[in-house]
Amino acid sequence: MSRGIVLKLWLYAALLLLMVVFIGPILWFFLLAIRPPETAFQMPPVLFFRPEWNAFYETFVNPGTNARQLFNSLIVAGGAVLLNLPFSIPAAYAISRFTFRGRKNLMLWYLGLLMAPPVAFLIPYFLVATAVGLTGTYLAMVLVLQTIMVPFSVWLLKSFFDDIPADLEASAALDGARLHEIWWHITLPLATPGLIVTAMFAFVFAWNNAAFPLVLSDQDTATLPIGTLGYFGSAGITWNNIGAAAVAAMLPPMLIFLVMGRYVVRGLTFGSIKG
Amino acid sequence: MAAVAYADGARTTPPSREKRRRQRLPLILIAPSIILLTALVAFPLVFSLRNSFCFWNLQMSPKPLGFIGLGNYRAAIEQSDFVEALRHTLTIAVVGTAIEVALGLAIAHLLAVRLVGMNFCRALLIMPTTIAPIVTGFLFRYMYDAQGGLIPWLIRTAHLPLPAQGLLGNEHTALWAVLAADIWQWTPFCAIVLFAGLLSVPDEIVEAARIDGAGGWTILRRITIPMIRKPMAFVAALRLMQIFNLFDLVLVLTRGGPGSASRTLSYNLYQQGLVDFNIGLSSASTWLIVIIVNVLIALFAVFAFKDIV
Repeated sequence: MSRGIVLKLWLYAALLLLMVVFIGPILWFFLLAIRPPETAFQMPPVLFFRPEWNAFYETFVNPGTNARQLFNSLIVAGGAVLLNLPFSIPAAYAISRFTFRGRKNLMLWYLGLLMAPPVAFLIPYFLVATAVGLTGTYLAMVLVLQTIMVPFSVWLLKSFFDDIPADLEASAALDGARLHEIWWHITLPLATPGLIVTAMFAFVFAWNNAAFPLVLSDQDTATLPIGTLGYFGSAGITWNNIGAAAVAAMLPPMLIFLVMGRYVVRGLTFGSIKG
Repeated sequence: MAAVAYADGARTTPPSREKRRRQRLPLILIAPSIILLTALVAFPLVFSLRNSFCFWNLQMSPKPLGFIGLGNYRAAIEQSDFVEALRHTLTIAVVGTAIEVALGLAIAHLLAVRLVGMNFCRALLIMPTTIAPIVTGFLFRYMYDAQGGLIPWLIRTAHLPLPAQGLLGNEHTALWAVLAADIWQWTPFCAIVLFAGLLSVPDEIVEAARIDGAGGWTILRRITIPMIRKPMAFVAALRLMQIFNLFDLVLVLTRGGPGSASRTLSYNLYQQGLVDFNIGLSSASTWLIVIIVNVLIALFAVFAFKDIV
């Protein structure tokens, strides 16, 4: 065998190992959701069994608690995205199009907020939300999520505005179009794909946040992961149900990332690396 | 029609006013986001600062119970849980970042090879990173289970030593077991971003170096890494900071235990404030963390982010 073929085989082996290590655990969790309960902790692992959909039925149809939490997750993440756009679109546009004093520091400030420890804000938010009666409301969660949503969206959106040639706007202005006309008829249509990409990544960001709902939600407004956390407190954890709830929590971000394709790197780096 | 309107406007408006309007516009566009964020961020910080000088346990009173000066700060440092948590946090942040970036860079090189099915694998590889950290916690708690977990079984099958209380129950392994879950989740992130960086390294340069007799290691050190400096700095800084803030995984996997063996700064803060309800102490810890975080971010601003903004 030539050296080239041997090398190729090694590379395929490495790729296979990579997939087993990083994708295997996810499949293992999917299997947990559909395997017979008595095989959940059976070692050596039981890989062949008749799939049961009972766990999904129990967690999302039967008592309906997780179904409610799934709905809550959608409301909180969706609400956080909708609230953030009116704040971040103008800011991102201004940072992309104009030069002004402090522009760079402003960007660094947004980035600093993205890197701040959320738990540091958690306790004051909890105290104030309790004092004004906002604990357990969607509003409290959607509002405090803005501390990460706005900086993230500004950064990502700015990279999309940067891609739209300023010449287009300038020539429209020369033709006599007003600022708001330029914005509505030229910039916005060109920026729409970027807006959708940003909104989807921001949705994942909010969907995956657990720190804020952990403290600010209650029984009725708990998001899916926080609701699932409740299983651990109760005696006799039903791991199949945890698996089913976790699969439901994992699927939306996974699908969004698969759809995003070539924008994944840009989304993950807040637009700073175009990929 | 529009042209006429604009020309009219231009004639009636003195150029200086038009110019001032242009200057004011970006500020008007940015102001809402700054006001919102300042309100959301400054307020908790100021509130914490005041509380940090007060004795206040929420189980005793809904209001602060009196001014005690720097007492909370002294308690935070002297009771040593803060210092211990800081040591844990810095250790895993540095070790975790180093492993994730190094492993990520190696995987990025593998991803750059042309193989059948590579595009498919690249798209799948990012999946761990898309999962909520708290759900990753569920996954690893299942896989770490001391009796029937997949990981202990693999370790036992390989005849490697395994603590009797399980990896999460042993004080020497708990913190590292938590970090392993983070490494699993974020190494793909490093790999994918660094792979994007590798694509920008021109093949001709690497080819030319090879013809000149440079080995793989020299090419990596002298050509590849300098050319992907920007994504590497970004990834390393982001990971360092995110591991520094590690909370969700600790919450699900160990709750800081056994004892305080796997407490991170963020978990310690949560424990003080929202489990023990010692608001004064947790506020002092908050401010100590805020100071450390600001120093770190300032360092990043100078060294890691100066060419990406």
